[in-house]
Amino acid sequence: MSMNLEREKEVLVGSQLAETKKLNLSSILYVGTVISMLVALYFIFIYAAEEKTMGAAQKIFYFHVSSAWLAFMAFFVTFVCSILFLIKRKRIFDTYAYVSAEIGVVFTIIVLTTGPIWAKSSWNTWWVWEPRLITTLILFFIYVAYIMIRQMDGVWDKKARLAAVFGIIGFADVPIVFFAIRWWQTKFHPIVFGDGPSQSGGGIEGTMLTALFVSLAAFTILYSYFLYKGVSFENMKIKVERYKEKLREDLDK
Amino acid sequence: MGFEYMYGAYSVAWVVIFGYVLIIGKRHTKLKKEIEFLKQLDK
Amino acid sequence: MNQMRTALFLAKKDLYSELKTKQILVTQIIFAALVIVVFSFAFDPANNTTKAVIPGVIWVIIVFSGILGLNRSFISEQRNDTIQGLLVAPMEATSIYLGKFLANFTMMLIVELVSIPFLFLLFDFKFLGSIPYFILVIFLGSFGFIAIGTFLAALAANSKSSEMLLPLLLFPITTPILIGVVQATRIILTNMEKFSSALAWIQLVTAYDVIFFVVCFLLIDYVLEV
Repeated sequence: MSMNLEREKEVLVGSQLAETKKLNLSSILYVGTVISMLVALYFIFIYAAEEKTMGAAQKIFYFHVSSAWLAFMAFFVTFVCSILFLIKRKRIFDTYAYVSAEIGVVFTIIVLTTGPIWAKSSWNTWWVWEPRLITTLILFFIYVAYIMIRQMDGVWDKKARLAAVFGIIGFADVPIVFFAIRWWQTKFHPIVFGDGPSQSGGGIEGTMLTALFVSLAAFTILYSYFLYKGVSFENMKIKVERYKEKLREDLDK
Repeated sequence: MGFEYMYGAYSVAWVVIFGYVLIIGKRHTKLKKEIEFLKQLDK
Repeated sequence: MNQMRTALFLAKKDLYSELKTKQILVTQIIFAALVIVVFSFAFDPANNTTKAVIPGVIWVIIVFSGILGLNRSFISEQRNDTIQGLLVAPMEATSIYLGKFLANFTMMLIVELVSIPFLFLLFDFKFLGSIPYFILVIFLGSFGFIAIGTFLAALAANSKSSEMLLPLLLFPITTPILIGVVQATRIILTNMEKFSSALAWIQLVTAYDVIFFVVCFLLIDYVLEV
């Protein structure tokens, strides 16, 4: 059965396995990631003012929020690519959706580990049943399930189709989960942007805001680097699979 | 104040990121080996 | 309307075959009873504080016995090699979905009809709230759970280990329903003064039901492709 897993598409024409590397974009993104990360670290640890009540622990906030931003963006990309895949049926959309979901899960893990550390330092408890935290946890489970659909055996386009459907359903679920949990539990997070109710620690100073935006930008570049790397890897893998298929055909003759 | 929490959080974040990079690298080497094998087979 | 007729036809077929074998329904009911017994060990029924966990227990029973039925609904077709027949038959994918949904929903309601009175009996629960609203909440909650469950069962049926995959897919997606109905059930069973917030929960669950029923309807074509 495993013989013709890739048979749905025509066997690779020509037997070239040359690694068609586009060195330019990859290295630009790599250098960009390293530089922007260093700049972000400078802004976080040296430039930004220290929070009065929480001290150094407040600096967790920058990576926590940036990871959350990256994860949500990654899942949004998965959602969009899932829709595009169902409409256009091009394998590249499926690859993008998968790689993006995987990156999203990795950064959700960061959110879910830095979140409790923040909670311990400011509310003196590891886990609070708070809307955003639980929503992130549910989001994590949804996309782990998404990746498990990808691990199923079968022809690629069936897996891609089912995963795309689940990617759409899962993303549509997120806002409802959030509102349900928000109703269920009162809010714990200070309102950072805009006029919050007068919470001490609410509101944000100018330098902190700059540092936050710099780290958001750095994480966005990091995301595009991971995405590019992951997609080119997946493409290479597909090529190798097709090549193997061709070899099998030759052997059969 | 709160330094231990900051160190904890940032080291966890970096461990996860580099762990992911490591996993990607491992996949790459595996695929490279496979390509080498196929090239040998081709000859 | 043709769609509805084929859906009813399919549901009738499923229910007839269930009536013949009584495999799933009996398993579900016995399982529900066992869950109740396990809960009576975990939470002492003689203790008064146990009353507080009853709303949660009701939904644990529904969810776990529901999963048993959902798992069967597409797997049995696959095991008898009739899934291909269904797919190539002159009916739409939505009819298959609707038919399966109706069959699962009917069975779920039967299980609830048996197991919830049994639970109240065993835990000696004195019913204080309004019965019609309680039934409404149970109905809406099971509707949403089975609607999305049937859809994901069709999706998971493609996997070899679909029994293990289905809960992983289903539980995260249905969290809003579970939160909503447990809260609403708690208020209706124990604290009717806060009835307005129970209504809000019922609205949320209804909105979820509608949204996901429509989304499942739109996407089932892609899941049940030949």
